Amino acid sequence: MLRTVKPKNARSKRALEAREAKEVEDARTAIFVKGTHTGEVVNGVMKELMALKRPNAISFSKKNSVRPFEDASSLEFYAQKNDASLFVVGQSTKKRPNGMVFVRMFDERVLDMCEVGVESWKSMNEFKTPKSTPGHKPLMHFASELFDSHPRFIQLKSLLMDFFNGEVIDSICLAGMDHVISVSLGPTPATLNTATSTLGATSTGADSGELPKVHIRAYTTRLLASGTRIPRVELTPMGPSVDLSLRRHTEADPEMMKQAMKRPKVRKQEVEKGLGKKKKNMEVDEMGDLRGRIHLAKQDLGKLQTRKMKGLKAGMDEDEDVEMSDGEADTRKHKRRKSQ
Amino acid sequence: MDVSDILAAHAAKQKSIQVEKEIPLEIDAGLLTVTDLNPVDTESYNADLEEYLLATARDGAQALIASLFSLPTTSSPDGPLAQLPPPTTQLPRAKPLPKPKPLTKWEKFAKAKGIQKKRKDKKVWDEEKQEWVDRWGWKGANKKEEEQWLTEVPANADVDFNPSHEARKKRKEKMAKNERQHVQNLARAEKEQGSGSSSGLQIQAQRKREIDRTLATTRTSTASMGKFDRKLEGEKKLKGVKRKFDPTEVSSSAEKSQNLEILSKLDREPLSKKSKRASDTPAAASVLNVRKAVRFASKGQGSAALARQAGGSKGKRGKR
Repeated sequence: MLRTVKPKNARSKRALEAREAKEVEDARTAIFVKGTHTGEVVNGVMKELMALKRPNAISFSKKNSVRPFEDASSLEFYAQKNDASLFVVGQSTKKRPNGMVFVRMFDERVLDMCEVGVESWKSMNEFKTPKSTPGHKPLMHFASELFDSHPRFIQLKSLLMDFFNGEVIDSICLAGMDHVISVSLGPTPATLNTATSTLGATSTGADSGELPKVHIRAYTTRLLASGTRIPRVELTPMGPSVDLSLRRHTEADPEMMKQAMKRPKVRKQEVEKGLGKKKKNMEVDEMGDLRGRIHLAKQDLGKLQTRKMKGLKAGMDEDEDVEMSDGEADTRKHKRRKSQ
Repeated sequence: MDVSDILAAHAAKQKSIQVEKEIPLEIDAGLLTVTDLNPVDTESYNADLEEYLLATARDGAQALIASLFSLPTTSSPDGPLAQLPPPTTQLPRAKPLPKPKPLTKWEKFAKAKGIQKKRKDKKVWDEEKQEWVDRWGWKGANKKEEEQWLTEVPANADVDFNPSHEARKKRKEKMAKNERQHVQNLARAEKEQGSGSSSGLQIQAQRKREIDRTLATTRTSTASMGKFDRKLEGEKKLKGVKRKFDPTEVSSSAEKSQNLEILSKLDREPLSKKSKRASDTPAAASVLNVRKAVRFASKGQGSAALARQAGGSKGKRGKR
């Protein structure tokens, strides 16, 4: 709906243009929505997550009756109005206490969702340590083998990476890396350990009880001189620290995911750097000059035309001695050979 | 000379910044992410959770920072900037890829001819004022001819020739032409997109189907189902049209039921009338769409206009 609005002045035109799809996207904006009932725990966790996400976060302070797993239309509406593509919906019910739903959108429609329950949490204020600067990019750390094998955790990793770190940047200030967000899992249960090869079996019987807990921690980094170029890293807990358990989820629609995974064609500058499709026998040297190699068949030197000289004519050399003694005979012989 | 303690110190330095794991850490420097695929050490996990998490996170962060510090850097006022490689992890986009803008007629021509686009400065140097002025817009240089106090008039000009007026007319014509070309370009782009894209093709196909269906209905809408209609050249015979002739002799019971059916049809009221009468009943009064009714009664003027009309001069007099 917003797309079809024709801007009436230059300012609104600029605002609409800023919302248009771009080749290299901006950071995703997250909206924090409270459901019909959120307890103290969910409120606190959402506030802390928002503090981590800060400049790209919008808070909805009032309650909204949203149930993402039943009807996502209101989320789609919020996404369109606020130009946001991530949601954290807090909802606490008797059946699912202290729940939060992470929702990711594509093209103002829901792509995938993952519900987590807050088991325990500790606020930033309880750690009396230095905090990170809002707006600085966090480093992300994921620890467990399940992040590579189990579909639920692959999704969670992708969601959290998108949530905190999704923006593609081409350079980073080395002094500005001041905090780490670490996501670790509890010990892998034996059922998952053996059944990782048969994923179908695990996903059907994947009760949240079976899945290990998720520990999210935030630390500030201290870079100490190590005597080498690379500093030694020390971490200090910054907070929040949240322990989560996985609950319901929806996978992305494969067709929509395919659309969302489309990449722009690699630009010319990057082709020169050697990215994209590699051209055979072409390379760019350090000076930025394009160099090519050409392969030729082996040259036949026998057909090479050198300087024409009487002395170099064929058949001149072998009967040189005869020529010396009897010039006339030789010329006759020569003629005969030519006619052959 | 004994260098063993120097070597030991160097080794210690290296040790503090090196991370050794069974499975090497996966580092995605483009997204500043490190993944530790080693299984969780249950013993230390159960012994002291926070300590264990801190230790693994430190190892991961150390490895990531080591890889970031070894990237090529450029200097900036805020400190060195590491040039990040493109990310290896693929994350879904938030919005679909932008479609390329359709070329205008001039752009197409320029592309074919290899004409490079030249950027004109927005400002031009004004010799008289000795300053930079805008090329167009407020106090723009393109209005100079209209505003100058002295203008050359051609010898064959009319008596009422107004040079500033003429210049203005010329400028306005140029603007109108540009606007016209802009509109044409938009229309062309729309047309091309309509024919090129799959959605446009779908719309076209649907429209064709609708037209075909309408044509088929009209062709079979005569008593003879189009049998004696004049045929156009190249018109194909309609498929699926079958005239059904009932047998002339049928059993008396069948004939009776047929005739009774016809009679019952005649007795029944047409559907539209029935629905109209139903709306008169009080139960269905709530079905009346008041907004629509008001709009119809006031001929689209709204309820206020209707009230004014009904009140007529009475309302006006009341005001006075």
